[in-house]
Amino acid sequence: MRPFTYTRAKDPAAATQALAGNPTARFLAGGTNLIDLMKEDVERPTALVDITNLSLAEIKPITAGASKGGLSIGGLGKNTEAANHPLVRQHYPLLSQAILAGASGQIRNMATNGGNLLQRTRCPYFYEVSMPCNKREPGSGCGALEGINRLHAIFGWSEKCVAVYPSDMAIALAALDAVVRVRTASGQERSIPFADFHRLPGNTPEQDTNLAHGELITAIDLPQNRFADRSYYLKVRDRASYAFALLSVAAALEVSETGNRIVQARIAMGGVAHKPWRALTAEKMLIGQEATPANFKRAADAEMAAAKPLEHNKFKVELGNRSIVLALQMALNGGKA
Amino acid sequence: MQDKNKLTGTPVSRIDGIAKVTGKAAYSTDYPVKNLAYAVLFKSTIAAGTIRSIDTAAAEKAPGVLAIITHQNAPKLNVDGGIRGGALLQSPEIEFHGQHIGLVVAETFEQARHAAHLISVTYDRRDPKADFEKLMKNASVPKDKDKADAKRGDVKAALREAEIKVEAVYETPIEHHHPLEPHATIAEWTGDRVTLYNSSQIVNGAQTAAAKTLNIKPEQVRIVTPYIGGGFGSKGGQWANLVLTAVAARQVNRPVKLALTRQQMVNSVGLRQRNHQKVSLAATKDGKLTALAHETTTHGAIKNEFIEPCGDCSKIMYDVPNSLITYRIVPMNVILPTYTRGPGKSTGSFALESAMDELAHTLKMDPIELRLKNEPERDPSNGKPWSSRTTVQCLQVGAKAFGWDRRKPEPRQNQQGNYLIGYGVACGTYPAHQRPTSAIVKLKRTGNDVMATVELAAADLGTGTYTILAQTAADALGLPLSQVKVVIGDSDLPPAAGAVGSVGASSYANAVNDACQKITDELLARSGKQFFARPTASQLMLSEKLTDFQTRIDAKPLESAEEYSAHSFNANFAEVAVNRFTGMVRVNRFLAVTGAGAILNPKTARSQIIGGNIWGIGMALTEESVVDPRWGNFVTRSFADYHVPANLDIGEMEAIFIREDDQKANRMGIKGIGEVGIVGVAAAVANAIFNATGKRVRELPITPDKLL
Amino acid sequence: MDQNENLDLSDDEKKLFEDLMPEDLNEILDTGVNRRHFLKLMTLAGGGVLAAQSAVAEQLFTKPVSGAMPEELSAAAIENGVNLALNVNGTARKLTVDSRMTLLDTLRERLDLTGSKKGCDHGQCGACTVLVNGQRVLSCLTLAASCEGKTVRTIEGLAQTGSSRSRAGESGAQLHPMQEAFLKHDGFQCGFCTPGQICSAVALLDEARRGDASYVTENVRRKTGPVQLSTEEIRERMSGNLCRCGAYPNIVAAIQEVHSGKPVEQTFRFSA
Repeated sequence: MRPFTYTRAKDPAAATQALAGNPTARFLAGGTNLIDLMKEDVERPTALVDITNLSLAEIKPITAGASKGGLSIGGLGKNTEAANHPLVRQHYPLLSQAILAGASGQIRNMATNGGNLLQRTRCPYFYEVSMPCNKREPGSGCGALEGINRLHAIFGWSEKCVAVYPSDMAIALAALDAVVRVRTASGQERSIPFADFHRLPGNTPEQDTNLAHGELITAIDLPQNRFADRSYYLKVRDRASYAFALLSVAAALEVSETGNRIVQARIAMGGVAHKPWRALTAEKMLIGQEATPANFKRAADAEMAAAKPLEHNKFKVELGNRSIVLALQMALNGGKA
Repeated sequence: MQDKNKLTGTPVSRIDGIAKVTGKAAYSTDYPVKNLAYAVLFKSTIAAGTIRSIDTAAAEKAPGVLAIITHQNAPKLNVDGGIRGGALLQSPEIEFHGQHIGLVVAETFEQARHAAHLISVTYDRRDPKADFEKLMKNASVPKDKDKADAKRGDVKAALREAEIKVEAVYETPIEHHHPLEPHATIAEWTGDRVTLYNSSQIVNGAQTAAAKTLNIKPEQVRIVTPYIGGGFGSKGGQWANLVLTAVAARQVNRPVKLALTRQQMVNSVGLRQRNHQKVSLAATKDGKLTALAHETTTHGAIKNEFIEPCGDCSKIMYDVPNSLITYRIVPMNVILPTYTRGPGKSTGSFALESAMDELAHTLKMDPIELRLKNEPERDPSNGKPWSSRTTVQCLQVGAKAFGWDRRKPEPRQNQQGNYLIGYGVACGTYPAHQRPTSAIVKLKRTGNDVMATVELAAADLGTGTYTILAQTAADALGLPLSQVKVVIGDSDLPPAAGAVGSVGASSYANAVNDACQKITDELLARSGKQFFARPTASQLMLSEKLTDFQTRIDAKPLESAEEYSAHSFNANFAEVAVNRFTGMVRVNRFLAVTGAGAILNPKTARSQIIGGNIWGIGMALTEESVVDPRWGNFVTRSFADYHVPANLDIGEMEAIFIREDDQKANRMGIKGIGEVGIVGVAAAVANAIFNATGKRVRELPITPDKLL
Repeated sequence: MDQNENLDLSDDEKKLFEDLMPEDLNEILDTGVNRRHFLKLMTLAGGGVLAAQSAVAEQLFTKPVSGAMPEELSAAAIENGVNLALNVNGTARKLTVDSRMTLLDTLRERLDLTGSKKGCDHGQCGACTVLVNGQRVLSCLTLAASCEGKTVRTIEGLAQTGSSRSRAGESGAQLHPMQEAFLKHDGFQCGFCTPGQICSAVALLDEARRGDASYVTENVRRKTGPVQLSTEEIRERMSGNLCRCGAYPNIVAAIQEVHSGKPVEQTFRFSA
């Protein structure tokens, strides 16, 4: 861990200003990923600005604007609080489940909601500084492309990077069409639709998100929806708990009150791409269809047909297919098998 | 039946328990040594080649740095002194990725870690030998005579003429011990004597290796290791960190603390090697085995050989007239493999007991019946009688307790919701030995109270050594447990066997028992009186009005034990649930029935068996260390990548012990349980998965992708 | 042919245990083993179960008591120093730390509290778990500098001190019920993960009282206040604490006993 100065920001303005003048300064919130990566010498900030004392932790109903009727979750609230807030549990159980599927009780007590979105990949070539990695060191090559890539992407990867994004929470947020609210370095507010928040690697895998340096996530807004009765977060992993996903699916359905017809469907996948992967092809196919296993399977087939697996992760195509079907069924049954 | 008046055989709680639940138990890095400096290792980023240059200029200028030690300035050490795995900074040669190439000593840990990042190294790189699948073709006969081909009868002919045959290859990956306590050392010199606080399963072995390697006398080294944060074989032999810390402390003339990082653990302290095992079974139509061949191909390090004996179970488990056990080995650029829980038997039993399950399925025979049918009366490998053998009891008791009759004989017949349910069984065994161990027993009387202290350089790595020795001494001396103090984990004490290979309990407890009998004899002789019933040592201290008395014994194993084949045996039963969509496996229930001679403490013994079982479940389902063959590095270098089982992975665990009184093995009839608990476990789980899904996975670990 | 040996304490024994232990323990720690108390325990317990508990005190092969560790290193050894005031186990502490220093290293290397363990240093094992402002967190991923004004409780601070029966300043204060339960159920082997497990388990009790959900909660939408946790719930909620010795079933039994307030049976099975 390289030497750095440590300061505590008094308010959001001071926080963003502190970063504005220093390209190697970073915010410190929960620290669960940043400190880890600093110990690995992957992250090398020269200054840390502790933002945990800022009043940005509140969870409150949205009473005006585009997301009226929805719920706003403070960027600096802890994952545990978000997962257990009565309004989240009641109206966005998919988000509760996804948060609770991630990490451990201790880490969820530390990690913030904004920080969760900024988790960096768990690719082992990214983590070990002696290995080539374009994300860590642009131009050094991708160690995983022709290396051990069982855990890597099957959608949207580039020759430069095949890493996947590790968050569970963000997969649910993608399915729920959340909006990320940001305070810019100059003190402006801006909103980023969730689909535009994270990036595909392309030629610049060093950029995980479309957040500019010094921008502060103040809140995550959840629009109102009718999915609360029928949603499910499925996480497939190499051990039962405390492991990153091999693959995950956030599924939500709105079904007509008369009969079994799908009015709206949301499917987002984790562990398959450099960002939360919205299964838009599958979603489109399901709308207006009967909610049956056969239709779920057809939608899953169509979605996974576009997958481009690597040498060691061909199983993810079949696993993704089955997981979409299972997650939709679980969602349809209100979370029960 | 246990003697109601004895403490041995009762489930007393660990006497070191309060120290452990209050955080007061002191592990290697917990000693409050004053004026400490901190060392951090830096490691090679290539797996084969030579260091061309090391630039330490920036690191030397970094704040707080006291010394940087590399092969260029390290003192001359004896590389054949008994430290395993090399990496002693004696040459620029690189033999594996992550080899220690130097260390930084600084005022604080933060400063040392930072300075280590500032060092830049250039290499002349060679292509590493790191792709086992390719190297396997070049494997050759090992140097180790114990691993020479062992033949009985004519396997080839028996296989050719077999009515029924199973031939299959079973693959097990590299695994790591990953004790929760990373290997760590504090070195403190006083004059020309060094105290090394360093977790050691073999206390005297660590002392000898450190002394020889440092070119000093054994009495100039003291190893202190009262508590060990898990070892599982990795703290049996000692590794470079032990002596490099001593070197650093001498260099800076201050005590030094050096702890490996979790990431450094993967290439610093050994590993369980990758094994490719071919098992061939021939049998008659009614299930009598006629041939068994178990051929293992594995790898060593680049210079040194180590082979875990995968064929051991196959040597003795079944009555078969034709048998062949072979080993082939190829050098690889990895850290030297070493003993890992249930060495050879855990991995070997996965192959053998999976093959037996495959044979039972082919024969349409119950797998328990198949095993009962091939039960050997004597040890088939050497013709010796068993000191005792409990395989049949283990299977029968287990079948009843587990509800084996609920198993569907054909696979994929038991579905509950999204889950396929299956049952599996597999047997295991581990040899029982006693090793020479010395012990001192001291008695001290204060008024009417007698206090005993037993002292020996034994180790307790969570196995319960403290507690069983207190129980043993209390019984032998006629004292309550509270009046016995156990002092172990220090090389200044009488030399003792290691807590390895399941020899700890039998070696230590027999020595302590012998010492207590001896002190009673000596007190009796001193009194010169005749007693109707043998008095206890504590009664004699009172009657003779002695305040202090002590004796020492150098206990040896029974010579007659050599006439028998002495082993622990078990039968493992697993019930798994496999998610039919995702392939995720959960072991719902697991039962191990174990015959391991005298059980000194059922509470700690049960824990140890269940712990071994959980290791086996990890082996079956989650644990795998993966090498990138291009660079020879492990891509699974943290607990986030190498999955040891978490709490939720483990369902209901149950242990049953078979009561045995086997005094042929040793006087106290102790066979040891540390190793046998893992043997047969992975096969039981894999067999249950076959019963659940109809899918035979011969490649561990059985991760979800293998069941789609 | 099976024979269950149920060695759970009877209610009477348990009461006796509770009545005798604190006093006995302190006496033992002060003066060495007292035979009268020991024999009383032995006789009334009818075996070794309680005996071992009292014997423990004499067996504490713990590190030697040292002088206080220097809280203040020389200024040269501290880079980017941050002045810090926090409360650790009920005691106000003030020190200057290197900005890079984690809470774990501060506890272990500066405050002589080595109970919290460094198992991985990267938030992947849970051995460093402590309670900060009552919440379980990983001290290895917490910068000490960020703990200004906070309350930290470690394994060393769980046992109740200063009760009327305990003697001032003694380390053998009355154990936390979770520590007692871990002892009884053998919720550890090597003991290295144990401080983290116990801190985590203590926090888990509060989380259950608060009605928190987990990934295995059947219906997260139903928030009912204090929840009775199934063993499956305990397993999931304890999955952030790895135990390489494999003491998980015993850990779950210990937590279930404290959580439910009802004794959980201990069974040791033998077959002839």
